[in-house]
Amino acid sequence: MSTINGTRSPQIAQRVAANALPLAMAAIVVVFAIAQPAFLTPDNLIGIVRQVALIGIMATCMTFVIMTGGVDLSVGPVLAIAGLVSFYCLQADLPLAVVILAGLAVGVLIGTFNGLVIAFLQLPPIIVTLATLSIVRGSALILGGPEQHLIRNEPAYSFIGAGSLFGLPFSIYIFALVAAVMIFVQRRTPLGLLVTAIGDNERAAHLSGHRTRITKTLVYAISGFGAALAGIIQSSQVHTALATYGPFGTELDVIAAVVLGGTSIMGGNGSVARTLLGVFFLGIVNNGMNILNVPIDIQLIAKGAIIVIALAIAARRS
Amino acid sequence: MDAPAILRGVGLTKIYGNLVALRDADFSLRPGEVRALIGSNGAGKSTLIKVFTGAIAPTLGRVEIDGVAAPLGDPSEMIRRGIACIYQHSNLAPAMSVLDNIFLGRQPTRRFGFVDSARQRREARALLERHRIAIDLDATVGNLPTVKQKEVEILKALALDARVILMDEPTAWLAASEVAKLHDTIRMLKTRAVGIVYISHVLDEIFAVCDTMTIMRDGRVIAESAVADIDRPRVVHLMVGEKLARESAEAAHEKRHPRGTGEIRMSARDLTKRGVFTEVSFDLHAGEILCITGLIGSKRTELLRTLFGCDRFDGGTLQIDGRTAAFASPTGAIAAGVGFVPEDRHREGLMLDMTMTENLAMATLDRFHRGLMLQRRRMSEAARQAIASLSIQPPDGSRPVKLLSGGNQQKVLVGKWLNRAPRILILDEPTVGVDVGAKAEIYRILRRERERGAAILVVSSDLEEVFTIADRIGVMVAGRLVRIHDADDCRLQDIVREIGGAAA
Amino acid sequence: MTIRPATVALVLFFAATLAFFSVSAPRFATATNYENLMAGFSFVAILAMGQAFPILVRGIDLSIGAIVGLVGMVVFDLTLIFHVPGYVILPVALVVGMLAGALNGVLVVVLRLQPFIATLATLAAYRGLTYTISGRQLVPGLSTTPITDRWIVGIENYFDVGGWLGVNKLLAMPWFPLSFFIMLALFALFQTLVLATRFGRDLYAVGGNYEAARLAGINTGRVIITAYALSGLCAAIAALIMVARFTTATEALGTGSELTAIAAAVIGGVSLAGGIGSMFGPALGAFLLGAVLLGLTLQGVPQFVQQIITGAILLAAVGYDRLLVVRRQRRLAANLAQAG
Repeated sequence: MSTINGTRSPQIAQRVAANALPLAMAAIVVVFAIAQPAFLTPDNLIGIVRQVALIGIMATCMTFVIMTGGVDLSVGPVLAIAGLVSFYCLQADLPLAVVILAGLAVGVLIGTFNGLVIAFLQLPPIIVTLATLSIVRGSALILGGPEQHLIRNEPAYSFIGAGSLFGLPFSIYIFALVAAVMIFVQRRTPLGLLVTAIGDNERAAHLSGHRTRITKTLVYAISGFGAALAGIIQSSQVHTALATYGPFGTELDVIAAVVLGGTSIMGGNGSVARTLLGVFFLGIVNNGMNILNVPIDIQLIAKGAIIVIALAIAARRS
Repeated sequence: MDAPAILRGVGLTKIYGNLVALRDADFSLRPGEVRALIGSNGAGKSTLIKVFTGAIAPTLGRVEIDGVAAPLGDPSEMIRRGIACIYQHSNLAPAMSVLDNIFLGRQPTRRFGFVDSARQRREARALLERHRIAIDLDATVGNLPTVKQKEVEILKALALDARVILMDEPTAWLAASEVAKLHDTIRMLKTRAVGIVYISHVLDEIFAVCDTMTIMRDGRVIAESAVADIDRPRVVHLMVGEKLARESAEAAHEKRHPRGTGEIRMSARDLTKRGVFTEVSFDLHAGEILCITGLIGSKRTELLRTLFGCDRFDGGTLQIDGRTAAFASPTGAIAAGVGFVPEDRHREGLMLDMTMTENLAMATLDRFHRGLMLQRRRMSEAARQAIASLSIQPPDGSRPVKLLSGGNQQKVLVGKWLNRAPRILILDEPTVGVDVGAKAEIYRILRRERERGAAILVVSSDLEEVFTIADRIGVMVAGRLVRIHDADDCRLQDIVREIGGAAA
Repeated sequence: MTIRPATVALVLFFAATLAFFSVSAPRFATATNYENLMAGFSFVAILAMGQAFPILVRGIDLSIGAIVGLVGMVVFDLTLIFHVPGYVILPVALVVGMLAGALNGVLVVVLRLQPFIATLATLAAYRGLTYTISGRQLVPGLSTTPITDRWIVGIENYFDVGGWLGVNKLLAMPWFPLSFFIMLALFALFQTLVLATRFGRDLYAVGGNYEAARLAGINTGRVIITAYALSGLCAAIAALIMVARFTTATEALGTGSELTAIAAAVIGGVSLAGGIGSMFGPALGAFLLGAVLLGLTLQGVPQFVQQIITGAILLAAVGYDRLLVVRRQRRLAANLAQAG
């Protein structure tokens, strides 16, 4: 057998690359903690989790979409319209469960529509969800108009986003639950395995007897669900429903978190747990830079540079 | 014939991951020489060609053109030095015209980079005339039938006025008349001192048009000879190697089971898909291996895909266990007890980044969950058993499949169906790119499945393979299943003649 | 290059749209309205043509909105803070746009990032850079100072074409904005570039079959980087038109315009699969979007419904494109059947 020289050093490089994100995260935490002791206070840390909860929920729920090689640009407007639908249900004095279910149902419906068009008509996900982005935003504006709708005297609803339980904001529990469920689904259910399989090799999954198109539809429905849930939490948090919530750029933040977590935009390789890592990484960077009074512009440049560096490392890994 | 070599490869080695595709191969070609490059699938012929075209850079070794070392892995440099290639797989831009494809990457230009369309057309016309090929230069390539696309591919190489033309199975899609025309072209090029490397599985073609041959096996060059100095049995013997030749001789003495137990599992009657295959009829019995062989492009793969429900057929009937079947998707076929191992394991068979355990469970996920929970432990247990019974190396279920050798990957692909104990197992080129040891093991697995009572349908271009494992042998020519022999009653030469039926 | 059925369909659809609104929308068939259409969508057409280049090589450029912002701010700074004359600023602006685009190409080619991700990252970075160099922040007093440089503001100019032709007595011709002529000139230039030059052939080859292009000796990296640089160039030109119109630049200039540009390009039949489409479709696609939006506005349809209709048009466009592909495959199979 011919031996191949120099296999060892690439292996080390690969291992470093695989753990680049946690390593970078640790380094950044140390830097921030030294530069500004306030960074490591419990209040600030809880603050970080609360800040990332919305993006975090959407990112964990969109991870499957990206794992199948797709993308969902429509999450921003879905977030807005779910808040509005819940607001109108509240106004109609419907029970809280119905209010929440109605909001979530809108998200699932839009996601299902995305999925059906993408999976069965085989249209490109970028364009399809770009179209629904426009359609849903328009629908949200028709539904709610350009004005703010205050949510007053709805203690139960307000609790979702603004309440706290055992000293922690309630939204953190929701985020944790969603993350746990999604990690469970990915690691412990046939669906999770199938999502990975479709992203890795859709033809092979089809030839192994799996109904790949139905699975693909489902992952967009999940993404829509996540966006709607984020919308409900946000409207509850700020006691307002507004058609322009989840402005342009929201979807990019969500995608950035997923991709930073190491999920390949080409599909296949990916993990919800690593998406969380991406979410927290971005959250920590944002928070730390805020604390250090880094101006917003440098933050944006830094964000772009981080994505490029992280992915350049990932590209080297494969 | 003693002119110095125009193209020479010295000590060429190419390693992909842990697969050695080419080992220390030496090769040389003189002006005006037509050299056949032969070997089974996976012997390293295409890899060698790709090194010469610059499509890939060899891991070790060098390429010399006119005795001067050429830069490696740079297609444009190779083209500049006069190396052209007719690739096996389409290398055309489908949305562009025939004319633009012929001159892809080197359209004649006037000032400011404007394409000189008039000159381009003039040159193309002259080329068509010279080689007596009729084709609409303005047709969009993607709209042409495959045969015509192949002609464009050939024209593209001829248009380069190259000094060396590499032809990787140039006749695979061509009809007899076009093959004859191509051979005339080759003889004409020969008079102009163009060196030609000719890859083909059809020995008739090689003995008709080539001067010399290089025989490869397992990535090595194992023999070189003038065509005049060698006979066909010797060529076949060299191609497959001593061991396999002996084994297949032994296997020939093994008891064959034409029509197995006699129970008909799958029955096709006049199965037709317009423009693809026509009136295909056969019965597949429990406990037999039916091999269908033929040239590339004889639509064997398409037939298998239809049997498995990937494509629909438009005429005839298909029965599984006596019941009429028209599968809308593989899901239906699998439910009826059919398993399918596709030809291209990377593109259609395996999830390369996923583990062996996961790949082995891919066709039986429905058995590995309780409620919503995936039972990883049972999956691993099943995988461990499969790995042991298939003797997959290394026996580590948590290893990503992409790190396995081709042979072990193929065993995983076969193995994922064995969990289901399929009643009918369909395999498309089950040993492409697989080393000799793994080949023998895959044969052993297939025989074991046959003893178990499975009905096995194999498509293979590798005749040694066909004679090693088949109980019956079907020959497919241009979309028709022309004949089915009992393997005991037919000779290699007969099959070779029948396969080339349309081409010779 | 033959005319594709998709292009014919687009032209017919555009004509039908104009006819529909001329009949149904008050004041649609007026000189003012057409002037609005040309003034308001010429730069969208320019962005869409620019976007077509990356899409032709199977990529996408999400950063053009940010490049518009960046170039706008460069112009703002150079003229208001440094008092650089306009004839110097114009070429500088174009170079900045091209470099920003070329950097996208380099990320795609050299670092092998997915175009979607690479340009997503530069979208953030360029927008950040815009804030960093913002003269509005550095010299707050300037934020209300209009740009008056003749060379720049001169881009916002209208020509009485009807007057020149002497047809004003017969029909009320709209005044044509300079941006429309710039768009036409770019269209002529780019259409020639893609259809008649070596670069154009290489572009289609790389987008249509990357491996074939590589093996044919085409310098694929250079082609791809050039495609992104051209996209950046178009963004710079669009930025100049916008700055001239508003006589100022904000940090948010161009936000979201990448989506409109992509939509126009796709509506114009540029296939995301690469290698299919030309410059005519994206340009007309932009004006089609514009006509629909203006027509709906004149009909009194709320702006929100227009978004829905824009989305629906986009879906219909990709759906139609897909339909053509499926049909072509069927026809191919039928051809094969005859041949066999």
